[in-house]
Amino acid sequence: MGQVPVHLIEVTPRDLPGLQDTRGESIKEMLAADHSLFVEKIRSITGYQVKANLTPDQLLHSLQDLFTDPIIETGTVNKSLLDDSTTYPGKPQLAIMVGFKPGVTDNAAQAALDGLHTLFPNLDGAEISTTMTYLFWGLPDGLDYKWLANILHNPMIERAAMATPDLCKQAIWPQLPYPERPAIEFTQPVTIDLEVDDQKLMQISDEGLLALNLEEMKAIQAHYRDPQIQATRETLGLPAEAPTDVELECLAQTWSEHCSHKIFAAKIHHNDTVTNEETEIDSLFKTHIMQPTHDMQEDVDWLLSVFHDNSGVIEWTKEWSLCIKAETHNSPSALDPFGGAMTGIVGVNRDILGTGLGARPIANTDVFCFGPPDYSGDLPGGLFHPSRVLRGVHAGIRTGGNESGIPTVNGAIVFDDRFIGKPLVYAGTVGTMPRKLPDGRESHDKTPTPGDIVYMLGGKVGSDGIHGATFSSLELTEESPSSAVQIGDPITQKKMIDMVLEARDAGLIQVITDNGAGGLSSSVGEMAELTGGAELDLAVVPLKQPGLSPWEILVSESQERMTVGVRHEDVPAFEALANLHEVEATQVGTFTDSGAFIVKHGEKTVAHLPMNFMHDGCPQLNLKSEWIPPINEEPNYPKSNPKQMGQILSRLLARPNIASKEWWVRQYDHEVIAQSVIKPFCGVNHDAPGDAAVIAPIMGNTRGAVISCGIVPRYSDIDAYAMTAASIDEAVRNAVCVGVNLDKIAGLDNFCWPDPIESEKTPDGQYKLAQLVRSNQALDDVCRAYNLPCISGKDSMKNDAKLDGKKISIPPTLLYTLLGDHQDVRKAVSSDFKDKGDTIYLLGETHQELGASELNFMLSEETGGGIGNDAPQIDTERNLALYRALTKAMDEELVRSAHDCSDGGLATAIAECCFGCDGGTTIDLDGIGDVDNWAALFGESLGRIVVTVSPANTEKFATIMANHCLVKLGQVDNKSELTIKRGGENILTAKLTDLLSSWKGTLHMGGGV
Amino acid sequence: MPQDVRVAVLYGFGINCDHETKAVFEMAGAEADRIHVNELVNGDKSLADYHIMAVPGGFSFGDHLGSGRLLGNRLRFGIRDMVQDFVKSGKLVIGICNGFQVLVKMGLLPGDEDVSLTQTASLTLNNTGHYEDRWVHLEFDPNSPCVWTKGLERIRVPVRHGEGKFVTTIDKNLDQWAENGQLVVRYVDPMHEYPSAGDEPLPFPICPNASMRNIAGVCDPTGRVFGLMPHPEANHSTWLGATWTREMPEHGEGEGMAIFHNAVNFAKENL
Repeated sequence: MGQVPVHLIEVTPRDLPGLQDTRGESIKEMLAADHSLFVEKIRSITGYQVKANLTPDQLLHSLQDLFTDPIIETGTVNKSLLDDSTTYPGKPQLAIMVGFKPGVTDNAAQAALDGLHTLFPNLDGAEISTTMTYLFWGLPDGLDYKWLANILHNPMIERAAMATPDLCKQAIWPQLPYPERPAIEFTQPVTIDLEVDDQKLMQISDEGLLALNLEEMKAIQAHYRDPQIQATRETLGLPAEAPTDVELECLAQTWSEHCSHKIFAAKIHHNDTVTNEETEIDSLFKTHIMQPTHDMQEDVDWLLSVFHDNSGVIEWTKEWSLCIKAETHNSPSALDPFGGAMTGIVGVNRDILGTGLGARPIANTDVFCFGPPDYSGDLPGGLFHPSRVLRGVHAGIRTGGNESGIPTVNGAIVFDDRFIGKPLVYAGTVGTMPRKLPDGRESHDKTPTPGDIVYMLGGKVGSDGIHGATFSSLELTEESPSSAVQIGDPITQKKMIDMVLEARDAGLIQVITDNGAGGLSSSVGEMAELTGGAELDLAVVPLKQPGLSPWEILVSESQERMTVGVRHEDVPAFEALANLHEVEATQVGTFTDSGAFIVKHGEKTVAHLPMNFMHDGCPQLNLKSEWIPPINEEPNYPKSNPKQMGQILSRLLARPNIASKEWWVRQYDHEVIAQSVIKPFCGVNHDAPGDAAVIAPIMGNTRGAVISCGIVPRYSDIDAYAMTAASIDEAVRNAVCVGVNLDKIAGLDNFCWPDPIESEKTPDGQYKLAQLVRSNQALDDVCRAYNLPCISGKDSMKNDAKLDGKKISIPPTLLYTLLGDHQDVRKAVSSDFKDKGDTIYLLGETHQELGASELNFMLSEETGGGIGNDAPQIDTERNLALYRALTKAMDEELVRSAHDCSDGGLATAIAECCFGCDGGTTIDLDGIGDVDNWAALFGESLGRIVVTVSPANTEKFATIMANHCLVKLGQVDNKSELTIKRGGENILTAKLTDLLSSWKGTLHMGGGV
Repeated sequence: MPQDVRVAVLYGFGINCDHETKAVFEMAGAEADRIHVNELVNGDKSLADYHIMAVPGGFSFGDHLGSGRLLGNRLRFGIRDMVQDFVKSGKLVIGICNGFQVLVKMGLLPGDEDVSLTQTASLTLNNTGHYEDRWVHLEFDPNSPCVWTKGLERIRVPVRHGEGKFVTTIDKNLDQWAENGQLVVRYVDPMHEYPSAGDEPLPFPICPNASMRNIAGVCDPTGRVFGLMPHPEANHSTWLGATWTREMPEHGEGEGMAIFHNAVNFAKENL
């Protein structure tokens, strides 16, 4: 067979009344919103480069029945649409064509290829690649076309070609060659000599992107000096005294900060200069996260599986369990916001699928931290503007979640200048499993036995996604590898999810885990611990392109793959199911009890790693931390009359941290699975913010689950203890607002920290580590007090960026995610004020605690000054008692609305409740206690909730709340103004419509790519 | 008259509302099976064993090359005869959201007497340019032959789509479909009293996608094949409504269930 021709098919929307080129319009809107660039008209052409032996008739058939919609589109084969004067009578001023670089996942092309096979089932060896061409008319003079092209593509994964006005006049249109993958030459495993000096050892680690420190390199060196190990290696035909590249890479993955959480496992000498106490902590994780949960496990029977699996599992009902996990995907999202975020969400979906014997993902949570979208300060080279990161991450999460059919039920977006260096992208997923499978096995336990077959399921392995785990354990630099960036393929994964759940119910799965960080080396390596060994053959692993070396196949993080253990007798049924669902399933090895992870490539053994060395051989870090609290300046509080106070509230509502996220959140499907009881939005116009999600996943059943979160990185600028306590309290409070069952709540801790290890590049490492210690102490204290066991979690410890020689570290950030039970969703409560005349109360005490509040941040930006020092303190005993009383009142159906009082304080909370009933009111703060007006209106004291009660129930409600702080504020009304009084005088007045438009305006950006 | 009404709920390739679609038919008293599209293509299962076929919502093939196109082609080219026989024998079909897109792209809707599977309309990108999940008010044509919507006036259900703008390029098609009662369900402004459905374009977000004549769903000339962009199955119970906490309803079945009851009852009596 000769060279396969590449046919070019171009498709564009028809220009007819009632139709529009929506893609072009969206780009136009985005350029106006983000860059104040106003263009007269933009059109779009989708291109398909079809590399296949097709006859002219077949090409026409595929154009008509596959590539174009006969009603709304028109297309051409092997002829530029721009040369077709009926379609484009006027030539554009500028044309920019964007296509993928070789090897980058092209989902539209994959779908097109599938469609081509539907038309021509016998077609062999066809390939497709897609392009998008944007055509511009009416561009402003002097525009930098290259700049525009860079806005429309990410050079890390895409290519662009351009026809400038000169070329357009000559009808020379942009073209991109077919993205052929360059051939790679297979290289046999090489031996890495570790009998070298320390400097050379570190050079090996650095140059190989292994992210191993000297002590770790030396531990590996020592392993290969062991005569017993050497003898074993000799019998296997491996180099006796030195590792192969396969082994070294596998260890680097397994021992990476990303996979083995070395900082949380470290021995820390902590010095608290406030109390003059010095403590030795042997693993923050074991001491402050695991121990409290294990202690709580003695009192409750519903903690089924904690910490050791891909997600934490709790018993929910007698028949069903729930599991939850959240991950971060920060580094990939910095490099390619769309792909990085998408692989984040579909990746954590696989954690759920890989829990126990397989759980069904039923809800996603997404929390982001970005630089402000209107950021106008300096932007170091190599960084995207925060608005572009926001759009890209959002689009990735939206695509990943929506296409997988998993509703996004809860989340948050936080903004701070320091996140321009590294955005935080937390993606979480909740899953369900039947407690027992039809064959009687408990679904949360894996049951592999030696001899079970190791299957790799789903996508193929490519050179994309090599070194993701080790890369995320390094700081972000200009040289960060593009191979660490991938785009997800939700449809391939969805097919796999369908198949896995059927295989589970048919009893065909003994063990399952996902292929995420570290690829097969981690997934098989970890599962091999359960049987005591595994043997893997890399030569049979299906590849996206030939020539990958053994170590690359082993550590590649190519997406959409699960590793599954299947018994011999179940092989035919398992493969038949894979075939039905069009899921690739390949036998790649066997679980053993040999005590070692043995990797072969064909006949040749390329790695032999004893299980105990792999999983316990990594030396423990020894670190020091020292806590010296920072001292901040106080802000300048401007003298303000009631109207000016109203304007301050209006400006607070417009701050991105508080502003409505509706434009973004509406683009997530939050209702698929038909279980959504309390949604992201509520109120008469469906635009008031919900506090927590309530879902009722069993069709027709009123038993529910609650999902909420808390995140307040601001407080870290005063004390990470306060930040952590506030985050957990916020998650609990949000759950209480919808009526959670406080006897069954569980949590996830997701830490994102700047590098806390003291070194030349991190001179303040001891302080950052002290912040981590204090955060863990708070987690321990608060979770124990709230009977809130952490059941899973994750940490991401290198959130620094060094660009243009400048280091930007994120503020230490804990995301606390809560999963709780709801006994009867018909009693769930939403945040919107309901009926005129309902009594408004503030529950909980207000203190003079404005430190690091959103108000103080705003004032310090507006008028100079600092953020203050009095961060909100927590009183867990008082809070929990109040929360219990309130949920009791909810259970008795006495509460009409409940809204968490947090960012922006009471005034913000009241305004949001008023948005819910589209009516202003007058409230009186006389009962709020001994604080100034700033703290009364905008303070963020913890443990506070705004509730309303209908007049008929106020007496009963007051009885239940008798021993708690209950401040009557006023009544629900339908006025056009919000008025807040104190001591008989107005202290804040504002028109509700003004507040609403401030709150809604900031983040309603419009457009998109 | 069948004892049990049997429903084939298709899934696979990114369909993702199959579980709840199965559930609502069961709540309406039918027996429903999830059937993988490939089980029909390879002959393991046959539509002939069912009275109703449902193509649920989702993102089949990621909406690439236009929503519903690729799955529509799998049905149009893979099981053409089976689908035509099913429809010609007077059995019922519903397509919801992505399922509606599939039925339109494969030419089953608005369709024709011969079930020729010729595409005459399309569903394209919302004018906003993006996917949205929001609740809408729907109004039904009381004169439509549609068996799925008999007796319905208005319901509240969510739309969850990026490509829900119903269009055709031939004006007389719209007039013809209107005359036949095929433009069975439209977006309406709840501030206007029933009946208020009309051709005059309603503003966003009342009409969430700028559909021609505010069309939310259509049926074929017989009224037995029906498709719509909004999700009636997502409002199967009162506690799933958008504003139920304001309304203190008598809890029970949601406003979307009537559609499934209609079909199951029709099948019981006629098939």
